[in-house]
Amino acid sequence: MSDHIDGPRQIGDPAADLTDLFAFTSPENPSRTVLTACLFPSAGADAMFSNAVSCSIVVRRASVAGLGDAAQFRTGDQEIRFTCRFDLLERAPGAKPVQRGTFTLPDGQTLRVVVNDKNGASTPDGIFRIFAGLRSDPFYLAWLFANMRPIPNLLEHDNVLCIVIEFDTRRALDTDKGSLFGVIAETIPLAPTSPVGPLPLRLDWVGRPEQTNMRLNYGPGIEDIRDLWNQQTPFAIASEHRGMFLQRLKESFAHWDMRDNKQDWTPSALDANARVFLDDYLLFDVAKPITDTSHLEIEKSTINGRTYETGGGRTVDSNVIDILVTWLVNRDREFLRGGATRATKPGTTVFPYFAEPNMELQDIAESVDLDAAPDRVWTLIGQFDPSWHPLVASVRMIGSGIGQLRIIETIDGKQIVERLEAADNSHRSYSYSNISGLPVSSYIGALEVNPRGSGSSVTWRSQFLPNDQPDIVVKAIVTTLFKTGLASLKSRLGDSR
Amino acid sequence: MNTDPGSDWERPVTTDGDIAVVNLESARRRSWSKFIQDPRRHGIAEAIVENERLTAQLVGDISALDRLESLARQLSQINAESARTALIQAQVASMTHRFTEARRFLAGAEQDRAPLEEVSRIRLNIDQACGVDLDGALSARREIATKSGRLEDLVALGALLADLREFADADRIYRQALREYRDVSPFPVAWVCFQLGMLWAELVPRPQADQAAQWYRRAIDCLPRYTKARIHLAEIYASSGRTSDAEALLLPALESGDPEARWRLADALISQGRQADAEGHLHAARVAFEALLERHLLAFADHGAEFYAGSGNNSRRALELARLNVANRPTLRAYEQAHDIAFNSGDREAASEVLAEARIRWGKAAAFASSPLDKRFSEEREGAVA
Repeated sequence: MSDHIDGPRQIGDPAADLTDLFAFTSPENPSRTVLTACLFPSAGADAMFSNAVSCSIVVRRASVAGLGDAAQFRTGDQEIRFTCRFDLLERAPGAKPVQRGTFTLPDGQTLRVVVNDKNGASTPDGIFRIFAGLRSDPFYLAWLFANMRPIPNLLEHDNVLCIVIEFDTRRALDTDKGSLFGVIAETIPLAPTSPVGPLPLRLDWVGRPEQTNMRLNYGPGIEDIRDLWNQQTPFAIASEHRGMFLQRLKESFAHWDMRDNKQDWTPSALDANARVFLDDYLLFDVAKPITDTSHLEIEKSTINGRTYETGGGRTVDSNVIDILVTWLVNRDREFLRGGATRATKPGTTVFPYFAEPNMELQDIAESVDLDAAPDRVWTLIGQFDPSWHPLVASVRMIGSGIGQLRIIETIDGKQIVERLEAADNSHRSYSYSNISGLPVSSYIGALEVNPRGSGSSVTWRSQFLPNDQPDIVVKAIVTTLFKTGLASLKSRLGDSR
Repeated sequence: MNTDPGSDWERPVTTDGDIAVVNLESARRRSWSKFIQDPRRHGIAEAIVENERLTAQLVGDISALDRLESLARQLSQINAESARTALIQAQVASMTHRFTEARRFLAGAEQDRAPLEEVSRIRLNIDQACGVDLDGALSARREIATKSGRLEDLVALGALLADLREFADADRIYRQALREYRDVSPFPVAWVCFQLGMLWAELVPRPQADQAAQWYRRAIDCLPRYTKARIHLAEIYASSGRTSDAEALLLPALESGDPEARWRLADALISQGRQADAEGHLHAARVAFEALLERHLLAFADHGAEFYAGSGNNSRRALELARLNVANRPTLRAYEQAHDIAFNSGDREAASEVLAEARIRWGKAAAFASSPLDKRFSEEREGAVA
């Protein structure tokens, strides 16, 4: 039978979608450099690399070609290219599928790696070491830009697929010829000319963070030119499009400058900033310190007419969004801090430097529809004090506002301690974390009351990782807690059914 | 019409179907997890709809429809009044063929100032699925496809042309969609191949089984877990006596939960004389169809009718479901199915009624002239005159 037009609209392959690029000094050994590309936004626990795409990290020598309002960087023509591609899954009965990849190094050597093997693989001479696999997403974004409001990290608990390349800096980059470099990452279809039609030369590429989503596509209602940008050749934006992209960046930067209603950028400095960001590669200098705060320092100092002092680059824990927003909005007059100061998990000091992936959280969501109006329900249950719950024998509250603790004695003699994380009376909702008393970690719960017809609907949700006990047991404990509480509301406030 | 599917085809380089399905499942679960974290988060419910749609359509996991209904329910509890909720509810209702409800949700979304483009897109899908104002839909589809050039818009245009019996144009548009695809996901390529298989197997007046089988094989080659493509290809194999090949195709599809896989497998086993083996599958198919019809009656009315008209062996239930389908979406194909079932079961009165209704609704449309119903109408009229 016909299935009409219920077809896919999400046609891109997320495993070809680059999310981030990093360049930093190895925390294990300062004579080594680490380059990393991340793919697959919000990858789930079983995500694998595409076998139809190669991912390359490409380095070119860079130099400062002008200071102040004449700020500009130049890159050389020679590429130092690291390329990896991945095989089909290998399946064995009863085991998780295995994937292997092949890295081609700048000198033509190839190196095989098993995906998700945290030890990675090294060349016999130890110059190169590689890793490929799922890791906790080190990126964090904690702003609502529509009104410049700090919010919790939008990428909390996310994972990404990472390609990590570590190498002996002097031998791989020949630093006698200079220490400043620009780096990009790109995903390329394996068959640029497909039998069903010519595939593009490149599916995606990335230099500095947020070139497309924040700088080129800075607000609603403007023409989306991100696809055209992604089709450009890194280090060589097409001359016929340069003017258009430059103009967009100038408009974008003028827009960002006024987000705090103060003009911090002179027109000439803003032009220089746009020119520098138009050449989109991540700058890093291996002769200077690359730290968590050195991201964009090379660009910023050069635009400010000074010699840069750090190695720029981007470490795993760089707060890149706040650094970028501060620069664009107030030219570093006052640091703008979003609602989070770190990713779900910080980077580590041992190879591959990106934290283990976040495990899949267990979800519980229960709800009940009630006759009573939302405000009446909220008056009863909205104060973080759970005395209304029939399984609660007594409660002791400590403190007030965000951070308030509730110490609950249950009727079977257990003690549960929970902390208020956020409260929004206008939406009749609060969220909390569990400190102790439940066999869980990373527990976040949320309770909210919404209007439903002339009555209301109460939803109680939580996410957590079970600790020490099987998933099913922990889910049963939490579900019972929720269901018993919500059922008690029916008898007190009327079941809408 | 290019009748040689091999003339412009080689296996495209797309991500391996197994990897793509693992990644889809991983993204699907993650999108739900994020929804639980914050159901109001921009774009997360929409991401779930897309992931579940792909899971239902291309992996054949029918439980995706249950999850989508749960999503719509949860959204309505959290934010019943928002345009976004209404749009999601409309999409979910449309996917499960509850078109009247979908239109109601859409009107609500429009009232709450949902983006006009999104409202129009969903309304166009509903009109097309229900056979309403197809000429208007065609000009809208052409305009959208020309403007965007996106694969999904080209395929929607191709499907509409096929509904209008413009088969050569439909074939051309599907092939254009393949030629112009610019990514490495196997899902869209498999989908277009499947559509081409359907075109040649089930829509053209004189089905070309070999051509259709080629396209279905290509769909499966891109996406081995494409349940519907396996089922359709197995039908072709079984009808040409290749029942062992049909069995081999269907066995891996059983895990999807699609009852049609069990039904077709039972048919293949019966053709091999393995009646006893078939009985269990047939019973399981009947139970699964009824369970599905209980949950998603309108979405599976036509599939259920086809089952009961065949090995399900209950022509009354078949006709009941087919007429329900006609009432829900009175397309020419729906009328053809209902008429066939009535006629073949010997219920001439019901067949005449369906034919009369079809003629009133479709008699003036160009597509009716190429429908078997037109011929049947002429025969009835001649019979009446004689």
